[in-house]
Amino acid sequence: MRSARTIFQRLAAALLLAAVCTECMKWEYGAAEDFAASGAGVFIACEGNFQYGNATLSYYDPETRQVENEIFRRANGMKLGDVAQSMIVRDGVGWIVVNNSHVVFAIDLDTFKEIGRITDLASPRYIHFISDEKAYVTQLWDNRIFVVDPRRYKITGYIECPGMTMESGSTEQMVQYGQYVYVNCWSYQNRILKIDTETDKVVDELQVGIQPTSLAIDCNDKLWTITDGGYADSPYGYEAPSLYRIDAETFTIEKQFRFDLGDTPSEIQLNGAGDTLYWINDDIWSMDVEAEQVPIRPFIEYTGTIYYGLTVDPARNDVYVADAIDYQQPGIVYRYSAAGELLDEFYAGVIPGAFCWK
Amino acid sequence: MKRNRIALLLVPLFPAMLAAQERNTEGPSGDWTKRVHPIPEVTVVGQRPIKEIGVQQTKFASAALKENIALSMADVLAFNSSIFVKSYGRATLSTVAFHGTSPSHTQVTWNGMRINNPMLGMTDFSMIPSYFIDDAALLHGTSSIGETGGGLGGAVKLSTKPAEANGFGLQYIQGIGSFKTFDEFLRLTYGDAHWQVSTRAVYSSSPNDYKYRNRDKKENIYDDEMNIVGQYYPTERNRSGAFKDLHILQEAYYNTGRGDRLGLNAWYIRSNRELPVLSTDYASDRSFENRQREATLRGIVSWDHLRRNWKIAAKAGYIHTWMAYDYKRDAGNGTMTPMTRSRSTINTFYGQAEGEYSIGSRWLFTASLAAYQHLVESADKNIIKQDGNQAIVGYDKGRVELSGSVSAKWRPTERFGMSLVVREELYGTDWTPIIPALFLDGVLSERGNLVAKASVSRNFRFPTLNDLYFLPGGNPDLQKENGWTYDAGLSFAAGKTGKYTLSGAASWFDSHVDDWIIWLPTPKGFFSPRNLKKVHAYGIELRAGLNVALSKAWRLHLDGTYSWTPSINESEPMTPADRSVGKQLPYVPEHSATVTGRLSWRTWAILYKWACYSERFTMSSNDITLTGSLPPYFMNNLTLEKGFSFRWADLSLKGAINNLFNEEYLSVLSRPMPGIHFEIFIGITPKWGKKKT
Repeated sequence: MRSARTIFQRLAAALLLAAVCTECMKWEYGAAEDFAASGAGVFIACEGNFQYGNATLSYYDPETRQVENEIFRRANGMKLGDVAQSMIVRDGVGWIVVNNSHVVFAIDLDTFKEIGRITDLASPRYIHFISDEKAYVTQLWDNRIFVVDPRRYKITGYIECPGMTMESGSTEQMVQYGQYVYVNCWSYQNRILKIDTETDKVVDELQVGIQPTSLAIDCNDKLWTITDGGYADSPYGYEAPSLYRIDAETFTIEKQFRFDLGDTPSEIQLNGAGDTLYWINDDIWSMDVEAEQVPIRPFIEYTGTIYYGLTVDPARNDVYVADAIDYQQPGIVYRYSAAGELLDEFYAGVIPGAFCWK
Repeated sequence: MKRNRIALLLVPLFPAMLAAQERNTEGPSGDWTKRVHPIPEVTVVGQRPIKEIGVQQTKFASAALKENIALSMADVLAFNSSIFVKSYGRATLSTVAFHGTSPSHTQVTWNGMRINNPMLGMTDFSMIPSYFIDDAALLHGTSSIGETGGGLGGAVKLSTKPAEANGFGLQYIQGIGSFKTFDEFLRLTYGDAHWQVSTRAVYSSSPNDYKYRNRDKKENIYDDEMNIVGQYYPTERNRSGAFKDLHILQEAYYNTGRGDRLGLNAWYIRSNRELPVLSTDYASDRSFENRQREATLRGIVSWDHLRRNWKIAAKAGYIHTWMAYDYKRDAGNGTMTPMTRSRSTINTFYGQAEGEYSIGSRWLFTASLAAYQHLVESADKNIIKQDGNQAIVGYDKGRVELSGSVSAKWRPTERFGMSLVVREELYGTDWTPIIPALFLDGVLSERGNLVAKASVSRNFRFPTLNDLYFLPGGNPDLQKENGWTYDAGLSFAAGKTGKYTLSGAASWFDSHVDDWIIWLPTPKGFFSPRNLKKVHAYGIELRAGLNVALSKAWRLHLDGTYSWTPSINESEPMTPADRSVGKQLPYVPEHSATVTGRLSWRTWAILYKWACYSERFTMSSNDITLTGSLPPYFMNNLTLEKGFSFRWADLSLKGAINNLFNEEYLSVLSRPMPGIHFEIFIGITPKWGKKKT
């Protein structure tokens, strides 16, 4: 049986070689890095691709013009998750809403280290603080807004939203005026809801156009929302989009600015003073909140790409525009002065969608 | 003639030789309990089949297809070919792609009928049990034109065949494995001089809750003040990964014995699978349900009429597919309520006629016409309209697809052959231009049977029904993708009857695809397909096989593949900031390789399988980041088997170890694959009415 012995010797050698190869391929799981974030910079929540789990967080310091990418992963040694939707800052803590990971992370703004998390959310989109002990988290495809205790990282209750089922539910961005929180309902919806923060109940609603995408409140306590008008062949309807100015006190529409059918306006933003409005409609547009008609010429012209994110530096009034390019590579962020001059540009993560100032 | 004295098959591919060997040495049930697997008497073939002039194809051995009942065709392809299998997990969506193209560029036929999902364009190979396939072949690049259109990467040809039974037969195999996995296979056969009837059933189920160390998240340890005082990578179970799959295949063939054969094939699938959550998911196990269900019936009736120098055949078929996807959440009151409830129904009617006519041994003419009528109802979402009434977001569309081809194959000498195929297709009202394909082959040297092959073809792929009509985002203005592909290669085969056979093949390919369809987000928040990319895919594929009789009782089979497939985006930059031009397409590995080795001694056999993929980029810019990294991986599986032959039955025992080195690996981002796991199989084949040995 000499040949058999030889065969088994060779087989053993082959197995050993395979084992060695296998050992060579062990993953390098990065250790956590220590950060000390400089200046009053901006966080960029990069959505990543749906179902890839490749959302990332970037931080850009306008003073030094330095960007750090993947800071959540590098500071914490774990992934941010799947589809980073939004981020806000409250009392030195950053709250990042990661939609398809069903989680909201709280991080330290200087070290980027996690300090807690709220889990088991249905499909979170945005978080808004009512107090230190209470915040609302809006949801997509859920007819509830979740009430959470940010100190204990717990879900404490729900706000039932009328006129929608779990399947057709959609609540998005929130702004507050006095004791009331206003929220736009986007996907197959056409309403702004008014919530009493003392009772956690929807107390009123206002019908606007089809699919209001975003919501902001200006220095005059006027709510601004912009609709996308739906899409052709939608059973919900398809119409020309509009920009609405709504009086927060009376909760009535004061002014409707109509766009053309097929336009795709989105991303209502305000400058630091709250007196200038910005939005994306192929180009980047800006308008005084007192204006009675939209400008004829854009603030920044369309360059053949789809701008995906927009923010205004509350201190410098610089305008930041995110371009997701082909949505499968790190997107680029352009920084313009208030006069529309290009000041800087830098690459962030995949699909940079939401900005948050420190 | 010297040529005839060299007792060798002039087939280019070793797997084909293995297939031939298996046919010679095993019964129809793939019984491996015979005492020795002999090196077969090698058949003398004066010339290469005229039908396969210039064709680059990989045929799979019966041993690979019937290795164990738990395997799907995705598993077989991953370890026995160099094409890329993208798997989302165990019993989860698995797609294959040739030559650096996408899964929808791979056409798949079952007994001649195309089974790609007309909504998605792709085929889920995890839904095809390998025990249901008797013949499988990969048609690389241009070679798919002879079978079907639309295969810009290639085609996978799957077939069943008569069981060659004599009287009643039964085979039953039970598999029990890790993660409470149960696999069962039953085959009943009956055959006589005219009839061959077979019923096969496979049932697989598992909670599929394998453990893995989750490196994508950390578990927090809080103090009473809710400060994090510690973190660790949790060991988690694969959540929401359970599956229950039932397949039943009924076949009946009637052979008149006078050149006519009638056939019936009916394949029923009932699948109920949870969809595993990502490793970055923080939802509670009890608060959601994520499930996909499918019921599919595929049926074909066929008639073959064979005469000495001509043949005609006709087929009619029907496919019904019902698919449901449900994502449910606890509504806060303990009731699971749908957040997403999508349903789709596909009805496909199929007919095909084909004929062949040969003039002597030098000319063969073929013609084929296939017709498909797809009727699709897709209900993706239930909404409440502005007027308060309910409505469904979806589409209800149909499409007629015709694909016809004629070919002339000419072999003026035994050393040289050429073939011209002309195909044309109609999808809806849109005709393709003439699709030509030219194939050449020639024997460079009879010593070693060195054969050279070359081919060139044009090809088109039409948008899928989802590409055109999905709401929201479908784009009815899409153009068909189109491209040119060039293939060339060398193959050899050598051996000594009863001692060894050695074969190998090397091929080069080069293809250009224009108007590549990709789905991109729109400013309105949904995705929409556009004709954007121009892709240049090229590379080499190597295959080799060795079959040795080491001694009277020892046999060794080795089979290996290697593939180098750059697949480069040559589009115009989408913006000045676009860094994807000139880069490898995401999720296409540049290098892949497989090795399988089977060593047998009498009724014992050990099978070793190894496969590796190089790093896959997840970004079009080919950036390597911490978050988007998919490192290369090597996979090792080991099987030990033993056969027993009693007077009343053959028994088989088999034990399989998968992921032998307990490797932590990912095929797709955020979807951890199982570590080492085991399964044992016990099979019985009673010897009813047969000679007791």
